Amino acid sequence: MFKREIVMEKYVCEVCGYVYVPEKGDPENGIEAGTPFEKLPDDWVCPVCGVGKEQFKKKED
Amino acid sequence: MIVSEIKDGIYTIFLQDWDRRLFDELIPLPDGTTYNSYFLFDEKNVLIDTADPVKTEKLFEALKRLNVKKIDYVVSNHSEQDHSGSLPDLISKFPEAKIVVSEKGKKFLTSLLLIPEEKFIVIKDGEVLSIGEKKLRFIEAPWVHWPETILTYEEKNKVLFSCDLFGSHLATSKIYSCENEIYEPAKRYYAEIMMPFRTHIKKHLEKIEKVDIDLIAPSHGPIHNSPPFIIDAYKDWISDNVKNEVVIPYISMHGSVAKMVDYFIDRLTEKGIVVKPFNLSKTDIGQLAISFVDAATVIIASPTVLAGPHPLIFYASYLFKILRPKTKFLSIIGSYAWGTNMVKLLSEMVPSRDIEVLEPIVIKGYPKEDDFDLLDNLAERIYIKHKENKII
Repeated sequence: MFKREIVMEKYVCEVCGYVYVPEKGDPENGIEAGTPFEKLPDDWVCPVCGVGKEQFKKKED
Repeated sequence: MIVSEIKDGIYTIFLQDWDRRLFDELIPLPDGTTYNSYFLFDEKNVLIDTADPVKTEKLFEALKRLNVKKIDYVVSNHSEQDHSGSLPDLISKFPEAKIVVSEKGKKFLTSLLLIPEEKFIVIKDGEVLSIGEKKLRFIEAPWVHWPETILTYEEKNKVLFSCDLFGSHLATSKIYSCENEIYEPAKRYYAEIMMPFRTHIKKHLEKIEKVDIDLIAPSHGPIHNSPPFIIDAYKDWISDNVKNEVVIPYISMHGSVAKMVDYFIDRLTEKGIVVKPFNLSKTDIGQLAISFVDAATVIIASPTVLAGPHPLIFYASYLFKILRPKTKFLSIIGSYAWGTNMVKLLSEMVPSRDIEVLEPIVIKGYPKEDDFDLLDNLAERIYIKHKENKII
């Protein structure tokens, strides 16, 4: 009756401002569309500026 | 040019650009630079990297001197145009040549130089290409300083062709680096090009240290025939260790900030802290970048111009932000005549992590007794912070 929608969080790179959108993934770097940020491999880096996952924070909006 | 055999069948093609004074229309080159390629003769002939497009004719002249009749492979370690720029002309002159690249390198060369897809051979990390007695092993080394970069290791002669990593902008007629000559240009190069990628370099060094290397042959500047020297220097620069130094990029328009800076330098010096002030209207930004490599603290000192910091202060602060140095403490000092929004505007420039911001001091007009007291306190805070962090 109630449809629960799971919304995957976007994450923003604090160094360059790139936004990771889980629905899009990062196919250029082998990350399939639909991959939540938490499931990205540890060695995944920001595709724009190269910093690690620890430099990302949840996008507030 | 330097066309010289460094190992059995391995030749340098070093093209000096003695007069170049600016790179990327940004970075000063006090000592010019070189674009280095290497030619390997074997059953298959290989050119490792090419040159900046302005030197394409020189590259062809060098190939002629080497009596090169055919090229089987061109290894493109890095797609940036100062190393790949001669590729379009090269492949039309040597149409049989295939370009050996990483997957990303292929994408970049396709989009930047419009090279057709069929020209490429894509390799992966650890792959070995036998060219006869010589064997080329490719090491993926992304983010030094582009995401596509590879290093090429020739197993028989133990030569690591490291492209930009371990490079230096130094036009010289010497093939090999001399330790006391190369340290400063190599550090400058690291500061300007490599510093944002410290964590990546750390991983690459772990890989490189497992390889038996006789020569490190970069794409700018001389060859390192004592690899531990440059590797140890890099290890020091990329480490989290900072030095007991305060860097002060500053501007003063009418003397108030200059007075603050002058007073502050003396107080810090009295505490045994090394101070490096940079008057941004005169300084070489490369020198400023070098000073960011290992200083514990940076103090930005600015007057107020139309409510904000001086534009050159914005420029230096932006460089500080994008170069991502390992600086631990940061503050702002400055002056205004009737009002200022300097701290708020500059704080948007400050990297949000891994840096502790000390209370800024922004004063009205020329510094007075109370203002000097504030500077005394800031000098003392910096001293205590350095001491607590075992930097002193």
